Amino acid sequence: MDLETWVTNFIMIAMFLYIAAFLLYTVRIFKGPTVPDMVLAVDALSYDLAAFLVVLSILFRSPIMIPSALVLVLWAYALDIYIAKYLEAREMGE
Amino acid sequence: MSMASTIEWILVILGQILVAIGVFCDLAAAILMLRFPNFYVRLHALTLGSIGGAFIPMIGAALIAAGSPFLGFYRWFMVGAAIVVAVIEYVLAGAGTHAIARAVHRSRAVEVYPKIVDHLEEDRKRGEMS
Repeated sequence: MDLETWVTNFIMIAMFLYIAAFLLYTVRIFKGPTVPDMVLAVDALSYDLAAFLVVLSILFRSPIMIPSALVLVLWAYALDIYIAKYLEAREMGE
Repeated sequence: MSMASTIEWILVILGQILVAIGVFCDLAAAILMLRFPNFYVRLHALTLGSIGGAFIPMIGAALIAAGSPFLGFYRWFMVGAAIVVAVIEYVLAGAGTHAIARAVHRSRAVEVYPKIVDHLEEDRKRGEMS
């Protein structure tokens, strides 16, 4: 087996396991009893989606997918900070 | 098998081991996110998902890209970008988790229900912490 087929097969298998994990996170997002629980699940989903994009960029041979993962990580951090600020001060900031 | 080909295979296998660890941590974190009882315990699942499930496979993807000449001209760009995204994610995941945990405890948005002791709450009631 040559290198290209080996890498492609491995990432195809890893892809399905990642998607299973995303579905489980989605269940927690919809079930979460309080808002912070949902935020935790959205955070975990975003960070893992970023890692999934980086791994998929090898499968699709497209380097343009990696900067989009960077943007996704930064938005997840912004969501954390906004929710934390809202919970502490009851305002979103100007 | 030539020398360059051997190095490529070693890089790819190392990267695949890291990605496999990441997939395992990711599945474990997703299951624990459903099974853990309350918010403060679910923080552990978030750490497992964001460091074990995202930081480690990004480094693994960088190693796979470094050992895959079929990716073409941009493969070293992919290596560098993957490492940059991994390091930024490593810093921001911890910082964001700390911020939201502190805010939730101060604002009492979530009741600490199955608990044995909460020293932070007791200190705050005695006025030793704001």
